[in-house]
Amino acid sequence: MNQFYTPTDHFSLLPALLLALFGCAILMLDFFVLPHPRQKRWLIFFALLGEFFAGLALYRQYRFLEDQSIPALRAFSDGLIIDGFSIFFNAIFVAAAVLVAIISYRYLEVEGEHHGEFYGLILLAQCGMYFLASGTELVTIFIGIELMAVTFYILVGFLRSDRRSNEAAMKYLLLGAFSSGFLAYGFSLLYAITGSTRLPKIAAELAQRPATDPLLLLAIVTTLVGLLFKVGAAPFHMWAPDAYEGAPTPVTAYLSVASKAASVAVLVRLFLGTLAPHRINWEPMLAVAVVLSLTIGNFSALSQTNLKRLLAFSSISHAGYILLGLIAGNRTGLTGICIYLFVYTFMNTGAFLVLISLRQKGMTGDDIDDLNGLIHRSPGHALLMALFLLSLGGIPPTAGFIAKYYIFLSLVETGHYALAITAALFVAVSIYYYFRIVRAMFLNEAGQLLPALPGWGARVGFAVTALATLAIGLYPEPIIRFAGTSLLR
Amino acid sequence: MLDTIFFYVFALLTIGGAIATITRRSAMHSALSLIVSLLGVAGLYLLQKAEFLFAVQIVLYIGGIMVLFLFVIMLVNLDQAAKERQFNRQWLLGLVASVLVGAQMVWMLNSAGVLSLPAAVPAPAATGPGNIEALADLLFREYLLPFEVASLLLLVAIVGSVMMAKKTS
Amino acid sequence: MNFLDLIWLIPLFPLAGAATMLLIGRKLDPQGHSDVALAPALAAEHGGDHGGGHAHAHGEHHHPATRRLIAFISPGAILLSLLFSLGAVAQLASLAKKSHEVILYTWITGLPFHTATGALSTFTADWGFLLDPLSSVMILVVTFVGFLIHVYATGYMAHDGGYYRFFGYLNLFVFFMLTLVLANNYALLFAGWEGVGLCSYLLIGFYFHKKSAGDAGNKAFIVNRIGDAGFLLGMFLLLSLTGSIQFTRVNEVLNSGVFHAETAGFGILSLTALFLFIGATGKSAQVPLYVWLPDAMEGPTPVSALIHAATMVTAGVYMVARSNALYSLTPETSAIVMGVGAFTAILSASIALVQNDIKRVLAYSTVSQLGYMFMAAGAGAYWVAVFHLYTHAFFKALLFLGSGSVIHAMSGEQDMRHMGALKDKIPTTFKTMFVGSVAIAGIPGLAGFFSKDEILWQVFSAPGGSKAVYIVGLITAAMTAFYMWRLMFMTFYGEPRMDEATAKHIHESPASMTVPLTILAAGSILAGWIGVPKLWSFLPESFRTFEHWLEPVFMRHAAEAAHGAHDAGHGDAALEWGLMGLSVAIAIGAILFARSLYGKAWKVDPIEALTGPMHKTLLNKWYVDEIYNYLFVDGLVKGGGTLLGRFDRRVVDGGVNGAGWLTRFTSTLSMWWDRWIIDGAVRLAALLAQIFSFPVRLIQTGQVQAYALVFLLGVGLFLGWRWMA
Repeated sequence: MNQFYTPTDHFSLLPALLLALFGCAILMLDFFVLPHPRQKRWLIFFALLGEFFAGLALYRQYRFLEDQSIPALRAFSDGLIIDGFSIFFNAIFVAAAVLVAIISYRYLEVEGEHHGEFYGLILLAQCGMYFLASGTELVTIFIGIELMAVTFYILVGFLRSDRRSNEAAMKYLLLGAFSSGFLAYGFSLLYAITGSTRLPKIAAELAQRPATDPLLLLAIVTTLVGLLFKVGAAPFHMWAPDAYEGAPTPVTAYLSVASKAASVAVLVRLFLGTLAPHRINWEPMLAVAVVLSLTIGNFSALSQTNLKRLLAFSSISHAGYILLGLIAGNRTGLTGICIYLFVYTFMNTGAFLVLISLRQKGMTGDDIDDLNGLIHRSPGHALLMALFLLSLGGIPPTAGFIAKYYIFLSLVETGHYALAITAALFVAVSIYYYFRIVRAMFLNEAGQLLPALPGWGARVGFAVTALATLAIGLYPEPIIRFAGTSLLR
Repeated sequence: MLDTIFFYVFALLTIGGAIATITRRSAMHSALSLIVSLLGVAGLYLLQKAEFLFAVQIVLYIGGIMVLFLFVIMLVNLDQAAKERQFNRQWLLGLVASVLVGAQMVWMLNSAGVLSLPAAVPAPAATGPGNIEALADLLFREYLLPFEVASLLLLVAIVGSVMMAKKTS
Repeated sequence: MNFLDLIWLIPLFPLAGAATMLLIGRKLDPQGHSDVALAPALAAEHGGDHGGGHAHAHGEHHHPATRRLIAFISPGAILLSLLFSLGAVAQLASLAKKSHEVILYTWITGLPFHTATGALSTFTADWGFLLDPLSSVMILVVTFVGFLIHVYATGYMAHDGGYYRFFGYLNLFVFFMLTLVLANNYALLFAGWEGVGLCSYLLIGFYFHKKSAGDAGNKAFIVNRIGDAGFLLGMFLLLSLTGSIQFTRVNEVLNSGVFHAETAGFGILSLTALFLFIGATGKSAQVPLYVWLPDAMEGPTPVSALIHAATMVTAGVYMVARSNALYSLTPETSAIVMGVGAFTAILSASIALVQNDIKRVLAYSTVSQLGYMFMAAGAGAYWVAVFHLYTHAFFKALLFLGSGSVIHAMSGEQDMRHMGALKDKIPTTFKTMFVGSVAIAGIPGLAGFFSKDEILWQVFSAPGGSKAVYIVGLITAAMTAFYMWRLMFMTFYGEPRMDEATAKHIHESPASMTVPLTILAAGSILAGWIGVPKLWSFLPESFRTFEHWLEPVFMRHAAEAAHGAHDAGHGDAALEWGLMGLSVAIAIGAILFARSLYGKAWKVDPIEALTGPMHKTLLNKWYVDEIYNYLFVDGLVKGGGTLLGRFDRRVVDGGVNGAGWLTRFTSTLSMWWDRWIIDGAVRLAALLAQIFSFPVRLIQTGQVQAYALVFLLGVGLFLGWRWMA
């Protein structure tokens, strides 16, 4: 029998451990130590402290791999893996969580729902994501997904006095449970076929199975369905618009960015790693999902008037683009996925941040019409929003272009011309609805609303997101190199 | 032979109970149906020679959790909720879709030869007092990590349910 | 100073200017604060382009010193770019190999992959700039004309709100335009391509309180998206074929002989070229995507001059010329390019014949002239296309700025029916516009003559050319001369037709506007003399610098074209002289024709000039007259034999009017096409989106059961996928 909780195990678990520790600490502080509502604001610093330590632990993992020049570190008898890929994705989670924590501060104030649990739950959700990025064992991954999902059910319904928020949480919960059933079925079938829950063992077993094995096919379908649901890809996307619209805006940002990235991490690890020999089985399905996501996401976004809903549909289409990298499946595609998710974290959070910062008492700021004439009201917000939208639309020289370019490049490299053409055409469609917003901001007459006054949190958030969106677009080399280290093979 | 008969009996209990749980209007009936379903599962565990799980299932789920459920249902007046229509008119469509997908799955399982597998693979004879030791070994060694993370999951679920239940301030 | 290595600074100056304007401009321009509150009220008073309300403000030319700072910084940034461009081009001329690349850093890198031809290639796109003869022509045009237009705008926009915003966008535009032309690869070119589109969008809608302005901006944007999709697809196809998107590398591969000219049929290269050309039709306003340009005239006039005449709209021509190696391998696509160019040229020229809005005439004229450029490019005479681009930048910018000066003088009036007799009131504007009109009409000695005549000759004689297209070009030339002189006569000659308040107010524009006009007029006269026809062998070769300068870029085709010209040429010097004479004669004839119609008729009928509101009725009467004349002519043709003896002045007049009716009819037809087919297509797309999103909305009911059902169907689909296979 192997040794019980070795130092390696500890080292590889440390970031998650810290996140769980700080998450629980915040919950307890909230309850016992800081009962006064005014004091609860300080909890955000504990959250940021937790993120700092988690980030530090991640950095130590990164240094360790670099110093030892080993590609990966395995722990918990193949239950966890620390490699460039997991570190990259965890870095995305840290960035997303920090941004979300910062931008939540003001939002919760405005909504009058300032509760310590919020920050605690953000950290605990991230803890779940850690196991998605690093887990190499089915049960761990499944529990990680559930930890993340359950946390999000709560976060989506965090505005208890808001009926839409409650409704969104309920829908997300019900459909999430539904999809988890499929995922659990898929995982159990994989176990049934191979007799192991550990990915390396499963991969070794599966490599010897014929591609036509119906049992394996069933396992692939159900696993894929469960994960595509979490990614928000069509036709399993139905929850997304309602959940995005109803959720508190920072949670929407977190959901669309981090939750998506975490699920993509599992998809990549499973389908490009373990199930790679059976590509013939899953590639057509993924292609169908991609085309449906692009079509439904883009065309539905055209007719939306609610910004959060519009961004929800756009995030469905972004899921489509990201999955294209999975279809290409070469190193460029993988780099593309990593860059896309990284960039998406900043540009999408930035766009949501603008919405939050425009939010005032008695005004949601969620409608396109609420942005009318923003350039006159608060030019800074308008320019920032334009930047984020340009980036989401993939217009150079913003970061979004780099992300899309890599995805397209990988498709061209692997000869998927039809998909590349389809995706390029949908870029043109997507620019149309992003520019409806730009038009409202720049060319429509100003409404009666007051100029927005960003707080310190929003200022920091803007600085980080805008800088990243521009800098990666102009000089993507460092992040490409960083993403390069994340490659699985 | 007897095993097979018992298997089908328990399976029927499980599925029938589950269907009844979601179709009964009355919360009380639903809860009772769920107990039947859980009993069926317990029986299946027993057939697999997993006596410990069988005991846990009976003691914890049926004896503990479900009884608590029943108490709550009796204490809280759920008549109001029960009278509201729980289903919309899409049930037929839903049924067709479910049957269709279910049929596809069964067809696939069948063509994989899983369904026709003889049920007579004898479970390994239990060593020692049940298989608690083996289970513990698995849980606390091989699956230590998910086991611990699961506790976090439960914590979050509790926090969530408390939050949802708490009256808005 | 080594300007060649500093070419990356050329786009950066305008960027710095734009950043200054957009970030701290508000503080420099105290009036800018009030523009939101003021603008709608002013717009109500003045319907025209020049809605800033300077009618009140005239006479008080006192602006705060800070505002003068804006008027200094913004053109100053362009001037710096111009100086650096001049330095760089001068140094480039002294190099043996006329090409200089400055790579700042690697922008995007890929991994080695196999191209469609099987060669192993690694993709990289640099943030790199390429200065070669082609891009040097472009940067000089952009910075020179851009600078003059900036100076002009300081006067023109003096009374408009949002001064700083305007110059910020304008500088930003120049930045993107310079990036576009200096880029050394398609990806960076695309960055500039999208950037100029964005700035154009913002500037068209600058008078945001005018709904039509916002709609026009939107139309421009949507139409350009179609083009962009084409561009992207072309770029990716090119990448998959050649393994690179760097201009020098792509041309190298294409010229290396790996690919053969697709003379036999429409192959993958032709498709690639076609996709790129679709991109070009969007940006350069060609059929079927030209519709946005006339509407884009809703923007301020300096914007029309800079973006929608001199620079941005030529980006498509530039791109096709840049991809000349590709187009020379694809004769079928080249033929399409030429055909589309010719069709656009004649279609929009016919529309321009009947427009009454002074800027719309010029807008359709621009579309038509761009068509000429594509005709030349399609015929394989790339240098001529660029030559026309270059001369056109002078005279069309001049004409737009001149029209802006007219509008300025007319207190925002754009309808030429309410103008007239402005010749003596705004003499500088008149003189400069006179030069521009002569130049565009193709009168020998001025810029337009040299380039247009060369296009016609190349289309006639080059191997890729066609006689039919030549005739179309010739007819277009006649139309061009006609509508330009119709414009001139309606605006500057005859009787004044404006109301008294406006008439009292007519004044020459300030020096900031007239000086650029004068310089551009000088340019319109002189610019053509570096590209005189080979036929004029009495002039030394230095008069043909332009072609020789561009030779390194179009090496292969220059040789071919020279060969072709040689075949058809030397022996037929007489033919070439004859054709030249024909086009000049046609131009002069068209001018005289315009004079006979507009000059004379309007003098004869003074009531028309006095009764402004009655004018529409008069117009209708005139229309009926046309039908009458048509019937008369028709009858004449039917009974031609018997009426032969009465071949008098009336009949000739009738013929003239009949021709007028015909052109009017064709332009009505093309307007109809414009309205119903093109606009219809845009609307159809929106409608399709609505229809398509309907089932989605039907399911997206908010019912969780429906969502689960869709989920389940998705699972069924996935399961059934393999089952069926």
